[in-house]
Amino acid sequence: MTGRTGASIMRRMVVGETRDPLTELRRGVLEHCVLAVMRLKESYAFEIVRVLSDAGGLVTSEGTIYPLLSRLRRDRLVETTWRESESGPPRRYYRLTSEGQKALDAFVRDWTRFRDAVDAVFASKTDGRLSGDH
Amino acid sequence: MTTDPLIRDYLGRLEASAAALPAHRRAELAREVSDHIDAALAEAGRSDEITVLNILERLGSPEEIVADEAGPGGASPVAGSGSRWGTMELIAGALLVLAWPALLLRFEVLGIYLGYVLWLAFGALGLVLAWASGVWSTRQKQITTVVVVALYALVIVVTTPTRVVVTPAGSPIEPTVTTTQ
Repeated sequence: MTGRTGASIMRRMVVGETRDPLTELRRGVLEHCVLAVMRLKESYAFEIVRVLSDAGGLVTSEGTIYPLLSRLRRDRLVETTWRESESGPPRRYYRLTSEGQKALDAFVRDWTRFRDAVDAVFASKTDGRLSGDH
Repeated sequence: MTTDPLIRDYLGRLEASAAALPAHRRAELAREVSDHIDAALAEAGRSDEITVLNILERLGSPEEIVADEAGPGGASPVAGSGSRWGTMELIAGALLVLAWPALLLRFEVLGIYLGYVLWLAFGALGLVLAWASGVWSTRQKQITTVVVVALYALVIVVTTPTRVVVTPAGSPIEPTVTTTQ
């Protein structure tokens, strides 16, 4: 009796605490998506945000890119150069350091494995339910 | 461009939320966000109320942006955003500072300077507490340790030669001679 009550309380607590899983996922991968954009070409913050937004809403709160870029600078994963812009104030351009490149490569490997594992589990679950119905 | 009351209000909220950040980073963030708004306005080619509201909406709330300065989801207190002081950190700091005036105590207990003992004890205890801190980063602890150990080593090196010089002068032998009557 008490065990069942405890379990149901725990389940409610977990559900209550869990935020939108997509928000959590987005937070987790955003840093490396930013690194990936810089790998293509040296970019400034506004440009990076636009690429990620256009890629299907990878950034929901655009302003949070700035704390993220600040962390990447501090961790020496990126280096920056100020350049004049044709319109407006000078822009800070970002590019990967060799450490950033290494971090990105490692993440791409991990991500591929993770994605395949999740896909495999989802695929097997669907199959199971279908065969159970028959 | 920052004459717009909506934008002014937004940047004001950002500055207020960022009060706890180091001054340099606070100014940098304010500039980054302000430049972002200008770039978005230039991209839109208009600056009517709806355009401004949409730009600010896409930026996210100032509080959300500042919260991310602490790390993704504000989960890990990443070092570098300024050290913070809890009770244990205050005691560690107090011990490391009080060790120095304690050194000046010239009371002698069993032939040992009390000041010297307190100086060593406070320093050691201060470092132990500093390392037990869950708030300070490993780097901050390492720097503290190096500075403290260097200062102690300096004091020991500076004070020791006076005793070393006295000993080779043959004084340990001479007193035994004077005791003979």
